[in-house]
Amino acid sequence: MIEVKNVTKTYGKKDNTFVALDNVSFTIPDGASVAILGKSGSGKSTLMHAISGLDKPEKGEIIIDGKNILALNQKAIDKFRSKTISFIFQSFFVQANESCYDNVSLPLEISGTATNRRKKRIEDALSAVELLDKKKSRARDLSGGQKQRLAVARAIVSNPRILFADEPTGNLDSATGEVVEDLLFGYNKDNDVTLIIVTHDPDLAKRCDIQIHIKDGKVESIEGVK
Amino acid sequence: MRIRDITIRAGRSLKHAKARTLLTSLAIGVGAFTIVLSLAVGAGGRQYTSDIISSNTNESALYNISIKQDDSSDSSKPKKYTDTQIANYGGYEMVLLNQSDIDKISEVNGVKSVTPYLTVSPKYVTREGQDKYQASVELFHSEVKLEYVAGNADGIENESIIIPDEYREALGFENASDAIGQKIQIYIEKGSSNPLNPEIKAFEYTIVGVNKKPTVAINGGTALQMASSNMKIINDYNLQGTSTYGTYLSASAMVEDGVSTETVKNNLNEAGYEAKTAEDLMGFIFQFIDVLQAILIGFGALAVLTSVFGIINTQYISVLERTQQIGLMKALGMRRRDVGRLFKLEAAWVGFLGGSIGSVLAVVGGTIANPAISKALNIGDVNLIIFEPSSVAMVVVGLIFVSVVSGIMPARKAAKLNPIEALRTE
Repeated sequence: MIEVKNVTKTYGKKDNTFVALDNVSFTIPDGASVAILGKSGSGKSTLMHAISGLDKPEKGEIIIDGKNILALNQKAIDKFRSKTISFIFQSFFVQANESCYDNVSLPLEISGTATNRRKKRIEDALSAVELLDKKKSRARDLSGGQKQRLAVARAIVSNPRILFADEPTGNLDSATGEVVEDLLFGYNKDNDVTLIIVTHDPDLAKRCDIQIHIKDGKVESIEGVK
Repeated sequence: MRIRDITIRAGRSLKHAKARTLLTSLAIGVGAFTIVLSLAVGAGGRQYTSDIISSNTNESALYNISIKQDDSSDSSKPKKYTDTQIANYGGYEMVLLNQSDIDKISEVNGVKSVTPYLTVSPKYVTREGQDKYQASVELFHSEVKLEYVAGNADGIENESIIIPDEYREALGFENASDAIGQKIQIYIEKGSSNPLNPEIKAFEYTIVGVNKKPTVAINGGTALQMASSNMKIINDYNLQGTSTYGTYLSASAMVEDGVSTETVKNNLNEAGYEAKTAEDLMGFIFQFIDVLQAILIGFGALAVLTSVFGIINTQYISVLERTQQIGLMKALGMRRRDVGRLFKLEAAWVGFLGGSIGSVLAVVGGTIANPAISKALNIGDVNLIIFEPSSVAMVVVGLIFVSVVSGIMPARKAAKLNPIEALRTE
């Protein structure tokens, strides 16, 4: 369960402050799929960064599995990021020079997984996104949709409990976008993994269990909570 | 993250920027090349020198014994007149030793024997039916290792002589062995005779040995050599009636068994004489080589210093180029320390590559050049460039270290990068 309590984040100093998140609170149950919706500049990305420990809001608490991640030291946050969560980005951020295999290997290397246990997990992840045959291809030779599927493989290889997707289909056409969506929701349902999608695409948001609308740093409305 | 994985990743990202990596490495390579070569030249020079010294000196001998001069170095003050014999060599004054000095030296505690240093320039040497040749005659030293083409030093005490192979040929002996037992004449000018009508006397000697031009001898080998007793006769004839009669430039002394040369040197010093041990002679030459080597290494160090800025620059550019990659790695939970390590290890790879390239080129180049250098300097079959694997390894390790140090600043920049900023797509 993810509990966000009274989170406030401001940028800038003194006269020039900008409130990115203003007293935001909500709860996400385990295994849910959540869409964080809002226009650009609404604070939805800041919210994602806060929940994933990339950004530190000055006020409030974010409690994941009973721990306030805002109170963790850097080492513990790094461990949290490598063991518990994963990211998928709008621009893929796959390493163009490296093979698909090495791209997927990165999170396992970061978490210090033993070398002999990596191979099977990498191949499993690649076959889950149907890229096993491209194992040795360089990422730059893949199409946009393939790159995002590779990013999905990289995100799921570490068996995360929470999967963050920042506009995962933003750079894809609707057909390839749908393939990636299916992969994400399939993974979410099959593995009971919490999926948090930041998007301004209402169609994508509709597929999620919960929709959290953010406007000017505040929660405007939450739909889908039972 | 494991060091092994970081090392592999570091190597891989260098492989992806081949041209840049190679060029940066080459800058270090120049430094490595220079340093490895100077170390090799230093090692070769020391080896060569110690060969020279061990084949020309005796560990239980003292050399260059001369009278202590108090203010000989201070040329700004007028010098006191002394009643001693002074030889002047191009402005450098040397007080000569006479027989009473030799006697005094031989009585100094620990001195076994004293040999005055003699060198005679005959008018010419020749043999029946042959041309006349200029030559110089030097004292035969048993500790100087001569290579004989024919014969040896046996019987050198009896009016005999050792000649270099070049003189054997000039004096018309077809084979070296033909010369053995034959007689040559040395013509000496009487020093006191009228220079316009000099008195010249022939001295006849039997050839007992023909020596090869030595590769590592300072004296001997290029001159005719005679035993001290024979030398004294021609020397006396040469100098009789002149002011330098009965004087010697210097002398050498053998030390009694079990007495250290250093002790005897001090005893001589108290008696008013200066002397040099074999070590002193070595020390001077080694110091010269060390200075020469230090200068060469200095040039190498300059090249390394330049390449340091190259590495820093390259690594900074690399950090800038890979901002997104660094952001991603940090977002995936890579620790700051590991990000820093990744870039430091990349620098280490560059250092390793540059060091290896430079060392390999130096070793290959040096090995090829060695015979050519020996030939050009006409020093025979001697290697003047000696590569010691340990010093080459030290250079490579040292350069890796230098590279890592140069990589610290860019690595810190990478480690400090804010992943949110780094992953902003706009």
